Amino acid sequence: MASTTVLSPVKSNSTLLNALGVLPGVLLLAAIGYTGKFLEHFLNTYAKTHHWTFPNIEYVLWAILIGLVIANTVGVPKVFQAGVATYEFWLKLGIVLLGARFVLADIQKLGGISLALVVIEITLSLLLMTVLGNLFKLKPKLISLLAIGSAVCGVSAIIAAKGAIDADDEDSSFAIAAILALGALALFTFPVIAHSLHMNDVSYGLWAGLGVDNTAEATAAGALYSDAAGKVAVVAKTARNAMIGFVVLAYAIYWAGQGQAATVSNKAAFLWKKFPKFILGFLLVSLLVSFHTFSKGQVGSLGNLSKWAFLLTFAGVGLCTNIREMSKHGLRPFIVGAIGEILIACLTLGLVIGADRIWGL
Amino acid sequence: MATDKSAVPSGSASRLSLDVWAVIVALILALAVRFDIIKNVPW
Repeated sequence: MASTTVLSPVKSNSTLLNALGVLPGVLLLAAIGYTGKFLEHFLNTYAKTHHWTFPNIEYVLWAILIGLVIANTVGVPKVFQAGVATYEFWLKLGIVLLGARFVLADIQKLGGISLALVVIEITLSLLLMTVLGNLFKLKPKLISLLAIGSAVCGVSAIIAAKGAIDADDEDSSFAIAAILALGALALFTFPVIAHSLHMNDVSYGLWAGLGVDNTAEATAAGALYSDAAGKVAVVAKTARNAMIGFVVLAYAIYWAGQGQAATVSNKAAFLWKKFPKFILGFLLVSLLVSFHTFSKGQVGSLGNLSKWAFLLTFAGVGLCTNIREMSKHGLRPFIVGAIGEILIACLTLGLVIGADRIWGL
Repeated sequence: MATDKSAVPSGSASRLSLDVWAVIVALILALAVRFDIIKNVPW
Protein backbone atom coordinates (compact mmCIF):
# COMPACT_ATOMS: atom_id res chain seq x y z
CA MET A 1 0.00 0.00 0.00
CA ALA A 2 0.97 3.58 -0.35
CA SER A 3 1.84 3.89 3.30
CA THR A 4 4.91 1.78 2.67
CA THR A 5 6.02 3.93 -0.23
CA VAL A 6 9.49 5.27 0.42
CA LEU A 7 10.82 8.11 -1.63
CA SER A 8 14.42 7.37 -2.49
CA PRO A 9 17.07 9.52 -0.86
CA VAL A 10 19.01 12.01 -2.90
CA LYS A 11 21.51 9.79 -4.65
CA SER A 12 22.64 9.06 -8.20
CA ASN A 13 20.55 9.11 -11.37
CA SER A 14 17.88 6.87 -9.86
CA THR A 15 16.46 9.88 -7.97
CA LEU A 16 15.84 11.71 -11.23
CA LEU A 17 14.35 8.58 -12.78
CA ASN A 18 12.10 8.09 -9.73
CA ALA A 19 10.97 11.70 -9.91
CA LEU A 20 10.18 11.34 -13.62
CA GLY A 21 8.44 8.03 -12.93
CA VAL A 22 6.00 9.55 -10.45
CA LEU A 23 5.33 12.68 -12.51
CA PRO A 24 2.50 11.30 -14.76
CA GLY A 25 0.62 9.91 -11.74
CA VAL A 26 1.04 13.10 -9.73
CA LEU A 27 -0.25 15.09 -12.71
CA LEU A 28 -3.23 12.73 -12.89
CA LEU A 29 -3.93 13.32 -9.17
CA ALA A 30 -3.71 17.07 -9.75
CA ALA A 31 -5.97 16.91 -12.82
CA ILE A 32 -8.64 14.88 -11.02
CA GLY A 33 -8.44 17.03 -7.88
CA TYR A 34 -8.67 20.23 -9.88
CA THR A 35 -11.58 18.88 -11.92
CA GLY A 36 -13.35 18.19 -8.61
CA LYS A 37 -12.71 21.74 -7.48
CA PHE A 38 -13.87 23.10 -10.84
CA LEU A 39 -17.06 21.00 -10.77
CA GLU A 40 -17.97 22.21 -7.27
CA HIS A 41 -17.53 25.84 -8.30
CA PHE A 42 -19.17 25.45 -11.72
CA LEU A 43 -22.26 23.60 -10.47
CA ASN A 44 -22.77 26.04 -7.60
CA THR A 45 -22.51 29.05 -9.91
CA TYR A 46 -24.74 27.44 -12.55
CA ALA A 47 -27.39 26.50 -9.99
CA LYS A 48 -27.33 30.01 -8.50
CA THR A 49 -27.59 31.69 -11.92
CA HIS A 50 -30.53 29.50 -12.93
CA HIS A 51 -32.18 29.71 -9.48
CA TRP A 52 -31.95 25.97 -8.96
CA THR A 53 -31.96 24.30 -5.60
CA PHE A 54 -28.89 22.11 -5.88
CA PRO A 55 -27.00 20.57 -2.96
CA ASN A 56 -23.42 21.76 -2.59
CA ILE A 57 -21.29 18.77 -3.55
CA GLU A 58 -17.79 19.42 -2.20
CA TYR A 59 -14.69 19.02 -4.37
CA VAL A 60 -13.64 16.24 -1.98
CA LEU A 61 -16.52 14.04 -3.09
CA TRP A 62 -16.03 14.88 -6.78
CA ALA A 63 -12.33 14.03 -6.62
CA ILE A 64 -13.03 10.71 -4.89
CA LEU A 65 -15.88 9.82 -7.25
CA ILE A 66 -13.89 10.60 -10.40
CA GLY A 67 -10.99 8.52 -9.06
CA LEU A 68 -13.34 5.66 -8.15
CA VAL A 69 -14.93 5.63 -11.60
CA ILE A 70 -11.55 5.57 -13.35
CA ALA A 71 -10.10 2.87 -11.08
CA ASN A 72 -13.15 0.62 -11.43
CA THR A 73 -13.83 1.03 -15.15
CA VAL A 74 -10.76 1.57 -17.32
CA GLY A 75 -8.34 1.04 -14.41
CA VAL A 76 -5.20 3.06 -13.67
CA PRO A 77 -2.67 2.57 -16.51
CA LYS A 78 0.76 1.42 -15.39
CA VAL A 79 2.45 4.69 -16.33
CA PHE A 80 0.38 6.51 -13.68
CA GLN A 81 0.59 3.94 -10.89
CA ALA A 82 3.85 5.05 -9.23
CA GLY A 83 2.65 8.65 -9.06
CA VAL A 84 -0.84 7.73 -7.84
CA ALA A 85 0.78 5.75 -5.00
CA THR A 86 2.32 9.00 -3.72
CA TYR A 87 -1.08 10.09 -2.39
CA GLU A 88 -0.03 9.05 1.11
CA PHE A 89 2.94 11.43 0.85
CA TRP A 90 0.59 14.30 -0.07
CA LEU A 91 -1.64 13.35 2.86
CA LYS A 92 1.24 13.57 5.33
CA LEU A 93 2.55 16.78 3.76
CA GLY A 94 -0.98 18.23 4.02
CA ILE A 95 -1.24 17.25 7.69
CA VAL A 96 2.15 18.79 8.59
CA LEU A 97 1.20 22.03 6.82
CA LEU A 98 -2.23 21.96 8.46
CA GLY A 99 -0.35 22.57 11.72
CA ALA A 100 -0.27 26.22 10.57
CA ARG A 101 -4.00 26.48 11.12
CA PHE A 102 -3.79 25.52 14.79
CA VAL A 103 -2.19 27.36 17.66
CA LEU A 104 -0.87 25.11 20.40
CA ALA A 105 -3.77 26.00 22.73
CA ASP A 106 -6.24 24.54 20.16
CA ILE A 107 -4.22 21.35 19.91
CA GLN A 108 -3.95 21.13 23.69
CA LYS A 109 -7.74 21.38 24.07
CA LEU A 110 -8.74 19.23 21.08
CA GLY A 111 -5.82 16.82 21.49
CA GLY A 112 -6.63 16.33 25.19
CA ILE A 113 -10.27 15.47 24.49
CA SER A 114 -9.24 13.35 21.47
CA LEU A 115 -6.64 11.40 23.47
CA ALA A 116 -9.14 10.59 26.22
CA LEU A 117 -11.66 9.38 23.64
CA VAL A 118 -8.94 7.54 21.66
CA VAL A 119 -7.90 5.47 24.67
CA ILE A 120 -11.52 4.39 25.26
CA GLU A 121 -12.08 3.79 21.53
CA ILE A 122 -8.94 1.66 21.15
CA THR A 123 -9.73 -0.50 24.17
CA LEU A 124 -13.31 -1.13 23.08
CA SER A 125 -12.40 -1.71 19.42
CA LEU A 126 -9.70 -4.25 20.26
CA LEU A 127 -12.08 -6.15 22.53
CA LEU A 128 -14.95 -6.02 20.07
CA MET A 129 -12.94 -7.18 17.05
CA THR A 130 -11.33 -9.98 19.04
CA VAL A 131 -14.72 -11.28 20.24
CA LEU A 132 -16.23 -11.01 16.73
CA GLY A 133 -13.21 -12.65 15.06
CA ASN A 134 -13.39 -15.58 17.48
CA LEU A 135 -17.15 -15.89 16.97
CA PHE A 136 -16.65 -16.14 13.21
CA LYS A 137 -13.67 -18.49 13.69
CA LEU A 138 -11.19 -16.33 11.76
CA LYS A 139 -7.48 -17.18 11.93
CA PRO A 140 -5.92 -15.76 15.16
CA LYS A 141 -3.42 -13.50 13.38
CA LEU A 142 -6.09 -12.20 11.03
CA ILE A 143 -8.14 -11.31 14.13
CA SER A 144 -5.13 -9.43 15.53
CA LEU A 145 -4.68 -7.51 12.26
CA LEU A 146 -8.37 -6.61 11.99
CA ALA A 147 -8.41 -5.53 15.64
CA ILE A 148 -5.30 -3.34 15.22
CA GLY A 149 -6.55 -1.90 11.91
CA SER A 150 -9.94 -0.94 13.27
CA ALA A 151 -8.66 0.29 16.64
CA VAL A 152 -5.73 2.42 15.53
CA CYS A 153 -5.12 3.61 12.04
CA GLY A 154 -6.13 1.29 9.29
CA VAL A 155 -3.63 0.37 6.63
CA SER A 156 -0.48 1.80 8.27
CA ALA A 157 -1.24 -0.04 11.52
CA ILE A 158 -1.87 -3.31 9.70
CA ILE A 159 1.41 -2.98 7.79
CA ALA A 160 3.30 -2.10 11.00
CA ALA A 161 1.72 -5.04 12.80
CA LYS A 162 2.24 -7.50 9.94
CA GLY A 163 6.02 -7.39 10.40
CA ALA A 164 5.86 -7.26 14.18
CA ILE A 165 3.65 -10.33 14.62
CA ASP A 166 4.93 -12.24 11.57
CA ALA A 167 1.48 -12.41 9.95
CA ASP A 168 1.28 -13.76 6.41
CA ASP A 169 0.58 -11.67 3.32
CA GLU A 170 -2.84 -13.17 2.72
CA ASP A 171 -4.08 -12.23 6.20
CA SER A 172 -2.81 -8.68 5.90
CA SER A 173 -4.34 -8.14 2.47
CA PHE A 174 -7.67 -9.50 3.83
CA ALA A 175 -7.52 -7.05 6.72
CA ILE A 176 -6.44 -4.13 4.51
CA ALA A 177 -9.23 -4.83 2.00
CA ALA A 178 -11.87 -4.98 4.74
CA ILE A 179 -10.65 -1.76 6.40
CA LEU A 180 -10.43 0.14 3.10
CA ALA A 181 -13.83 -1.04 1.83
CA LEU A 182 -15.50 -0.03 5.07
CA GLY A 183 -13.65 3.28 5.12
CA ALA A 184 -14.93 4.01 1.62
CA LEU A 185 -18.45 3.23 2.82
CA ALA A 186 -18.00 5.53 5.82
CA LEU A 187 -17.09 8.38 3.47
CA PHE A 188 -20.62 8.35 2.10
CA THR A 189 -22.57 7.43 5.24
CA PHE A 190 -20.91 9.47 8.03
CA PRO A 191 -21.79 12.94 6.63
CA VAL A 192 -25.41 11.88 5.94
CA ILE A 193 -25.87 10.53 9.49
CA ALA A 194 -24.19 13.61 10.98
CA HIS A 195 -26.42 15.99 8.99
CA SER A 196 -29.52 14.10 10.14
CA LEU A 197 -28.32 14.43 13.75
CA HIS A 198 -27.45 18.15 13.25
CA MET A 199 -23.96 17.57 14.64
CA ASN A 200 -21.68 20.58 15.00
CA ASP A 201 -18.32 20.70 13.19
CA VAL A 202 -16.20 19.78 16.22
CA SER A 203 -18.37 16.81 17.24
CA TYR A 204 -18.52 15.50 13.68
CA GLY A 205 -14.77 16.00 13.14
CA LEU A 206 -14.05 14.05 16.32
CA TRP A 207 -16.41 11.29 15.22
CA ALA A 208 -14.81 11.03 11.76
CA GLY A 209 -11.32 10.96 13.31
CA LEU A 210 -12.30 8.26 15.79
CA GLY A 211 -14.63 6.17 13.64
CA VAL A 212 -12.95 6.07 10.20
CA ASP A 213 -9.85 3.92 10.19
CA ASN A 214 -7.63 4.98 7.32
CA THR A 215 -6.08 8.44 7.74
CA ALA A 216 -6.77 9.53 4.15
CA GLU A 217 -10.41 8.46 4.39
CA ALA A 218 -10.85 10.03 7.85
CA THR A 219 -9.45 13.31 6.49
CA ALA A 220 -11.76 13.12 3.48
CA ALA A 221 -14.79 12.20 5.63
CA GLY A 222 -14.11 15.24 7.82
CA ALA A 223 -13.58 17.60 4.87
CA LEU A 224 -16.80 16.35 3.26
CA TYR A 225 -18.77 17.84 6.16
CA SER A 226 -16.98 21.18 6.42
CA ASP A 227 -13.53 22.74 6.44
CA ALA A 228 -13.62 23.09 10.24
CA ALA A 229 -14.75 19.48 10.70
CA GLY A 230 -11.90 18.37 8.43
CA LYS A 231 -9.36 20.10 10.69
CA VAL A 232 -10.77 18.46 13.83
CA ALA A 233 -10.90 15.05 12.12
CA VAL A 234 -7.18 15.33 11.35
CA VAL A 235 -6.34 16.15 14.99
CA ALA A 236 -8.45 13.26 16.33
CA LYS A 237 -7.02 10.84 13.76
CA THR A 238 -3.49 12.03 14.50
CA ALA A 239 -4.02 11.41 18.22
CA ARG A 240 -5.14 7.89 17.28
CA ASN A 241 -2.13 7.38 15.00
CA ALA A 242 0.18 8.36 17.86
CA MET A 243 -0.92 5.21 19.71
CA ILE A 244 0.17 2.86 16.91
CA GLY A 245 3.49 1.91 18.54
CA PHE A 246 1.94 0.96 21.89
CA VAL A 247 -0.79 -1.23 20.39
CA VAL A 248 1.54 -2.97 17.92
CA LEU A 249 4.12 -3.49 20.68
CA ALA A 250 1.50 -5.13 22.92
CA TYR A 251 0.52 -7.53 20.11
CA ALA A 252 4.19 -8.21 19.22
CA ILE A 253 4.89 -9.15 22.87
CA TYR A 254 1.79 -11.38 22.95
CA TRP A 255 2.70 -13.25 19.74
CA ALA A 256 6.36 -13.52 20.78
CA GLY A 257 5.10 -15.08 24.03
CA GLN A 258 3.27 -17.64 21.90
CA GLY A 259 6.54 -18.36 20.08
CA GLN A 260 5.01 -17.14 16.80
CA ALA A 261 6.77 -13.79 16.37
CA ALA A 262 10.14 -12.20 16.95
CA THR A 263 11.04 -11.02 20.45
CA VAL A 264 11.25 -7.28 20.97
CA SER A 265 14.28 -6.57 23.13
CA ASN A 266 14.53 -2.77 22.83
CA LYS A 267 11.01 -1.53 23.44
CA ALA A 268 11.88 2.18 23.32
CA ALA A 269 13.54 1.75 19.89
CA PHE A 270 10.52 -0.26 18.73
CA LEU A 271 8.11 2.51 19.84
CA TRP A 272 10.20 5.21 18.14
CA LYS A 273 10.41 3.18 14.93
CA LYS A 274 6.63 2.75 14.78
CA PHE A 275 5.80 6.32 15.85
CA PRO A 276 4.40 8.35 12.92
CA LYS A 277 7.04 11.10 12.63
CA PHE A 278 4.84 13.46 10.63
CA ILE A 279 2.96 14.16 13.89
CA LEU A 280 6.12 15.87 15.16
CA GLY A 281 6.20 17.98 11.98
CA PHE A 282 2.55 18.96 12.54
CA LEU A 283 3.35 20.02 16.13
CA LEU A 284 6.49 21.91 15.02
CA VAL A 285 4.59 23.95 12.40
CA SER A 286 1.88 24.67 14.97
CA LEU A 287 4.55 25.75 17.48
CA LEU A 288 6.09 28.14 14.92
CA VAL A 289 2.66 29.67 14.25
CA SER A 290 1.97 29.97 18.00
CA PHE A 291 5.19 32.02 18.36
CA HIS A 292 4.09 34.33 15.52
CA THR A 293 6.88 33.26 13.17
CA PHE A 294 4.52 33.82 10.24
CA SER A 295 2.34 36.81 9.33
CA LYS A 296 -1.42 36.32 8.95
CA GLY A 297 -1.07 36.19 5.15
CA GLN A 298 1.69 33.61 5.39
CA VAL A 299 -0.43 31.42 7.68
CA GLY A 300 -3.17 31.64 5.03
CA SER A 301 -0.67 30.58 2.34
CA LEU A 302 0.47 27.56 4.40
CA GLY A 303 -3.17 26.60 5.01
CA ASN A 304 -3.86 26.77 1.28
CA LEU A 305 -0.76 24.71 0.46
CA SER A 306 -2.15 22.11 2.87
CA LYS A 307 -5.47 22.15 1.00
CA TRP A 308 -3.70 21.58 -2.34
CA ALA A 309 -1.85 18.63 -0.85
CA PHE A 310 -5.15 17.20 0.41
CA LEU A 311 -6.67 17.72 -3.04
CA LEU A 312 -4.10 15.28 -4.49
CA THR A 313 -4.76 12.90 -1.58
CA PHE A 314 -8.52 12.75 -2.19
CA ALA A 315 -8.00 11.97 -5.88
CA GLY A 316 -5.62 9.19 -4.80
CA VAL A 317 -8.16 7.73 -2.35
CA GLY A 318 -10.60 7.24 -5.23
CA LEU A 319 -7.97 5.93 -7.65
CA CYS A 320 -6.67 3.40 -5.12
CA THR A 321 -10.11 2.00 -4.22
CA ASN A 322 -10.54 -1.04 -6.41
CA ILE A 323 -13.90 -2.62 -5.61
CA ARG A 324 -13.24 -5.72 -7.77
CA GLU A 325 -9.96 -6.43 -5.95
CA MET A 326 -11.65 -6.01 -2.57
CA SER A 327 -14.44 -8.43 -3.45
CA LYS A 328 -11.85 -11.13 -4.26
CA HIS A 329 -10.86 -11.42 -0.60
CA GLY A 330 -13.85 -13.42 0.57
CA LEU A 331 -16.83 -12.60 2.69
CA ARG A 332 -16.04 -13.71 6.24
CA PRO A 333 -13.32 -11.16 7.11
CA PHE A 334 -15.44 -8.51 5.44
CA ILE A 335 -18.52 -9.46 7.50
CA VAL A 336 -16.50 -9.39 10.73
CA GLY A 337 -15.01 -6.05 9.67
CA ALA A 338 -18.42 -4.66 8.70
CA ILE A 339 -20.17 -5.68 11.92
CA GLY A 340 -17.20 -4.47 13.97
CA GLU A 341 -16.96 -1.15 12.13
CA ILE A 342 -20.70 -0.47 12.40
CA LEU A 343 -20.56 -1.15 16.14
CA ILE A 344 -17.42 0.98 16.52
CA ALA A 345 -19.08 3.80 14.54
CA CYS A 346 -22.12 3.66 16.88
CA LEU A 347 -19.85 3.48 19.90
CA THR A 348 -17.66 6.41 18.87
CA LEU A 349 -20.78 8.41 18.00
CA GLY A 350 -22.03 7.76 21.53
CA LEU A 351 -18.63 8.76 22.96
CA VAL A 352 -18.59 12.03 21.00
CA ILE A 353 -22.19 12.90 21.95
CA GLY A 354 -21.29 12.13 25.57
CA ALA A 355 -18.15 14.29 25.35
CA ASP A 356 -20.24 17.11 23.83
CA ARG A 357 -22.63 16.95 26.80
CA ILE A 358 -19.76 16.91 29.33
CA TRP A 359 -17.28 19.39 27.76
CA GLY A 360 -19.59 21.30 25.38
CA LEU A 361 -17.59 20.77 22.17
CA MET B 1 10.89 -19.58 15.96
CA ALA B 2 11.55 -16.49 18.02
CA THR B 3 14.30 -14.21 16.80
CA ASP B 4 15.30 -10.79 18.03
CA LYS B 5 13.98 -8.28 15.50
CA SER B 6 15.80 -5.28 16.91
CA ALA B 7 19.09 -7.07 16.23
CA VAL B 8 18.30 -7.31 12.54
CA PRO B 9 19.18 -4.20 10.52
CA SER B 10 16.14 -3.02 8.60
CA GLY B 11 17.53 -1.74 5.35
CA SER B 12 19.99 1.03 4.68
CA ALA B 13 20.24 3.71 7.36
CA SER B 14 20.26 6.40 4.69
CA ARG B 15 16.72 5.59 3.54
CA LEU B 16 14.33 8.13 4.99
CA SER B 17 10.72 7.20 5.68
CA LEU B 18 7.80 8.80 3.91
CA ASP B 19 6.93 10.62 7.15
CA VAL B 20 10.36 12.22 7.35
CA TRP B 21 10.24 13.28 3.69
CA ALA B 22 6.82 14.85 4.29
CA VAL B 23 8.19 16.82 7.25
CA ILE B 24 11.29 17.94 5.29
CA VAL B 25 9.25 19.11 2.28
CA ALA B 26 6.72 20.85 4.57
CA LEU B 27 9.50 22.70 6.41
CA ILE B 28 11.11 23.77 3.12
CA LEU B 29 7.72 25.09 1.99
CA ALA B 30 7.23 26.84 5.34
CA LEU B 31 10.63 28.51 5.00
CA ALA B 32 9.84 29.56 1.44
CA VAL B 33 6.57 31.11 2.64
CA ARG B 34 8.28 32.75 5.64
CA PHE B 35 10.87 34.45 3.41
CA ASP B 36 8.28 35.40 0.77
CA ILE B 37 9.73 33.13 -1.92
CA ILE B 38 6.22 31.66 -2.09
CA LYS B 39 3.50 34.18 -1.34
CA ASN B 40 -0.25 34.63 -1.62
CA VAL B 41 -1.02 30.98 -2.39
CA PRO B 42 -4.55 30.98 -3.80
CA TRP B 43 -7.28 28.43 -3.16
